[in-house]
Amino acid sequence: MQIVVKDLNYTYSARTPFERHALKGVNLTINEGDFLGIIGHTGSGKSTFIMHLNGLYKLQSGEIDVFDIKLVPDKKNKSDLRRLRGTVGMVFQYPEYQLFEDTVAKDVAFGPKNMGLDDEEVAKRVKRAIELVGLDYEDIKDRAPFELSGGQKRRVAIAGIIAMQPKVLILDEPTAGLDPYGKEQILSLITHLKKECSPTVIVISHDVDEITRFASRIIVFNDGKVMFDLPMNELFRHADELHSVGLEIPKAVRIADKLRKRGVELEGDIVSLNDLLHAIVKAYNKKHIDKTVNENINFSAFEFKNEVAEDGKDGEDKG
Amino acid sequence: MATAIKLENVSFSYPMNEGEEHKAVNGVSLEIEEGTFVALVGHNGSGKSTLAKLLNGLLTPTGGRVLVYGVDTADDKKIFDVRSSVGMVFQNPDNQMIATNVEDDIAFGPENLGVPREEIIRRVDWALEKVGMSEFRNATPFKMSGGQKQRLAIAGILAIKPRVMVLDESTAMLDPKGRDEVMNVVKQLNREEKMTVIHITHYMDEALDADRLIVMNDGKVVLDGKPSEVFAEHKLLTKIKLGVPCVTQLAVTLSEAGIAVDPRITDEEELVDSLCRLL
Repeated sequence: MQIVVKDLNYTYSARTPFERHALKGVNLTINEGDFLGIIGHTGSGKSTFIMHLNGLYKLQSGEIDVFDIKLVPDKKNKSDLRRLRGTVGMVFQYPEYQLFEDTVAKDVAFGPKNMGLDDEEVAKRVKRAIELVGLDYEDIKDRAPFELSGGQKRRVAIAGIIAMQPKVLILDEPTAGLDPYGKEQILSLITHLKKECSPTVIVISHDVDEITRFASRIIVFNDGKVMFDLPMNELFRHADELHSVGLEIPKAVRIADKLRKRGVELEGDIVSLNDLLHAIVKAYNKKHIDKTVNENINFSAFEFKNEVAEDGKDGEDKG
Repeated sequence: MATAIKLENVSFSYPMNEGEEHKAVNGVSLEIEEGTFVALVGHNGSGKSTLAKLLNGLLTPTGGRVLVYGVDTADDKKIFDVRSSVGMVFQNPDNQMIATNVEDDIAFGPENLGVPREEIIRRVDWALEKVGMSEFRNATPFKMSGGQKQRLAIAGILAIKPRVMVLDESTAMLDPKGRDEVMNVVKQLNREEKMTVIHITHYMDEALDADRLIVMNDGKVVLDGKPSEVFAEHKLLTKIKLGVPCVTQLAVTLSEAGIAVDPRITDEEELVDSLCRLL
């Protein structure tokens, strides 16, 4: 199963003074099981692109095939769109702003209910989705979404998408606005969801350091086009080009570069901070054979855990 | 140096269900000197955003006093003095856009203060240039990306020419380039216009260049000092769900593994130097 995008173009406000070509001939194939990162500076077309993947924008030109659901311009494809939205789950930026029901369980049930599932199935999915995002179902199901903390709200919003059991999960800036701890929790959650629920995951992020934590393949958008589509370890060899379009390279890549330029031998491809740590420790152990240190160390300051118990009380977030 | 903002044992409680209260800010005393660049960090729910809203009288303390250039923010008659002294830039620029075109949006602040037309035009030009948005002066804010909108929101505050600017996670929605641009603008305003800046952020790396770093947890100030002093407390910072800048975290992790790197390093070049000596 694949997502195939052919010659996708999109123009905002066509034939007006505000006309802007947001996508200019995008061709892409996304395979089932991909853990894909999409980066690009603001206005590069990345958001416009993913909106197409679950039919939020009407196709202007080109073709999209999402797991055999085919979209072409000018086709009345209402039933296809319905299937598409059950296949591709989209978590928008700041998804907690979309919470609207008076209890968490009702909010999460909204999606599966709209899919026409029976009550029993809906209830089952709601419970599973809430548990999958690391919240305590019994504790939280009857609470109002608005009295939860920022991180919890975001998880509830994600649960609302997960409850539709999408095969593809798309998240637009999933950690925006969260504190470092909240970020860490959401990043671990995404990896968890890929394993347990939606095998194909696409994440849009500004933060290259963050994206190095999980994605195996990265697509760089620039000026409405795909600028790079590479495995992560290859992408950051193009540091200068990335910089020229306003993108940073991960800190680990930058530090490794500096060390190598000064004659330090670091083994292997270094993309994430963990790669860097391991390479440094290996280099150190090579040189200091008499007093080697444990190579099994990890960068992450926080661990993923169910935060209901300790987080339940600070129910306000004025972010 | 004059004191720009003074907090005297300030508390603030949000009313909760059934007469309960949630104490978001709990007995904070601070004095912020004019012209300093202060970074204020804390995890979600630590009370930092509530504190920010207390600084220009959007909220008034339920205990203690907040003085802005000597004016009590609880004094209704002087609230406009307070608001024109302290400009606020919020996280979500959509909440701060009011006009359908960029120029009008930026002119809104000074217009309300009764600034003469010629001066408004000068200020709009200046503010747009400062945030690098001059070419957008006739565009409509609603069609802009999040990053552009935030720069516009900052320009709108600049046009009021406040003496203190409070940025409440204003960089959270921007891409790295946009974030750099905004930070450069803010630093420049601090340096050249001697504007006092209080920058509330989750990005530890943005706190590195501040003159002073204040860390909040559970409604209280838990650390307050130069960034390098504060980051030396990496254990406490991790415990209160904040962590330290990436470079410091690397140094700390290596040092804990038994490699002789100073865990207090905050500067990337310094880390590279000390690693080169070891490897």
